[in-house]
Amino acid sequence: MGKIGTIFRRELAAYFTSPIAYLVACAVLLLCGVFFNGDLAARNNRATTDGSVILSAFATFTLFFAPLITMRLVAEENKEGTIELLMTLPVSDSAIIVGKFLGAWAYYTAILALTLVYQVIMVLVSSPDLGVSIGAFIGVWLYGGAALAVGIFFSALTENQIVAGFLSLTALITLWLADNAGALVSNRVIATTVRVFSFQTHYLYSFSVGLMRLDDIVFFLGVIALMLFATVRYVESRRWR
Amino acid sequence: MIEVDQLTKRYGNFTAVSKISFKAEEGEILGFLGPNGAGKTTTMRMLTGYMPPSEGRASVAGHDVFKESFEVRSSVGYLPETVPLYPDMTVRGYVRYIAELRGVSKAKDRADDVLRTVAMYDRRETLIRSCSKGMRQRVGLAQALVHDPQVLILDEPTIGLDPHQTLEVRDLVRALGHSHTLLFSTHILSEAEQVCDRVIIIDKGQIIAVDSPARLRERLQSGGRLFLRVGAKADSAQVVKALMKVAAVSTVEPFADGYILTASAGADVRARLAAAVIAAGWDLLELRPQAMSLEDIFLELTAKSEARHG
Repeated sequence: MGKIGTIFRRELAAYFTSPIAYLVACAVLLLCGVFFNGDLAARNNRATTDGSVILSAFATFTLFFAPLITMRLVAEENKEGTIELLMTLPVSDSAIIVGKFLGAWAYYTAILALTLVYQVIMVLVSSPDLGVSIGAFIGVWLYGGAALAVGIFFSALTENQIVAGFLSLTALITLWLADNAGALVSNRVIATTVRVFSFQTHYLYSFSVGLMRLDDIVFFLGVIALMLFATVRYVESRRWR
Repeated sequence: MIEVDQLTKRYGNFTAVSKISFKAEEGEILGFLGPNGAGKTTTMRMLTGYMPPSEGRASVAGHDVFKESFEVRSSVGYLPETVPLYPDMTVRGYVRYIAELRGVSKAKDRADDVLRTVAMYDRRETLIRSCSKGMRQRVGLAQALVHDPQVLILDEPTIGLDPHQTLEVRDLVRALGHSHTLLFSTHILSEAEQVCDRVIIIDKGQIIAVDSPARLRERLQSGGRLFLRVGAKADSAQVVKALMKVAAVSTVEPFADGYILTASAGADVRARLAAAVIAAGWDLLELRPQAMSLEDIFLELTAKSEARHG
């Protein structure tokens, strides 16, 4: 456990010692700000504010910036050869991957926490349903974790960060929109199966309306566990080749 | 400390390391000498648990590298050929990080200690990004030493350094040996000679010689190759003809601006050669033993081993 903590601290520090992390956070907040302003203006006292709108926008932005956060995690070690050091240290492969994942998730959480400012503004100008906001926060946080876990898997596959980023972007968009694809299939069994794997299904119809269902929580935690397991296995396979 | 038995590594059809066996005793500095692509790095990677052997077995510090990988990794300090550094970290931050991952108690103090050992303590707050190649190499060494390992494995620690830095690293390696069992690879013959107790020469994945550096050199010079240069007025064909007449000279070949001669084993023909040149009325400008380059040694040793295996 101590080793996971060491890796976690190193990875988290790596985000904050590089300017890119600040730029990504800055850009995401700018997008959120534009979106929030637009939403407030559109409501223009005719409808009450909804705390989940900004978080749903954040969830969409996550598709694009989660790959930016995760693409370097393993790919950079592969490219720079530092993976050779990591793998010859008395540290298990799972500790390395889990530590890196938690570092990325903590950074994601920090950016997510910054969007609290919009909730504060909303409470000041109107009386939104805070249950919806809390549900949406937890939902986006879990979904973000799943997105990062998908990203770290693709980062382990290659030593090229751009390829890792693009592959995870593709995977995330596909997973996010899977329910739309499901809607086009006439076979009911296939349609519901496809839908079950959609990230959007597990967020849009539950967390974002302030609903917390155990199966959605289990779904996102399950995706995290599965992707991390696959990543560890892939990294481990180096020892057998 | 290190025991390697019939170790083999294949990548598909290509055999990188073929059935090599050797041993390193405790406190010994063992040199691994060979040209690029000889299988040095692959062997070291197998010994450090980075990749598994295809066949054969090896043990380091009494643990099997494949079955007890964790124990092996704990007792080995490893410096890969490309020094594994994180440019965004400071020198001290990096060494502490590795110390913590290795579970060293009092990681901070220990990191400072090894930084003093490699003379990087004064630069401890420097970002690795802005370190020179020589500094990086020393930081890499500090990382390999931080847990005071029983066995140190260094893959070409002097590659790409300027002569001054090379000397520093060599001195450091020599100082470290004897308190650790040390396996280090190089493709520079003189380096192996200066630093090692014993040298293993490896080529195309096979060991072609194991000996002390002095004995190795002796063996290789017993061929008795000489280089001879005479004044410009001598005709090359005549010189060859005249030199061949000297007793115990077996071959004469024009080479660069002079001639390469070989004598039959054990014979010292230098005095007779000088006399022959003077007697013919030419000027003797140069006469010296022809040092063998590493390439020559490989050619000679591999030729021998091919002849033996026929």
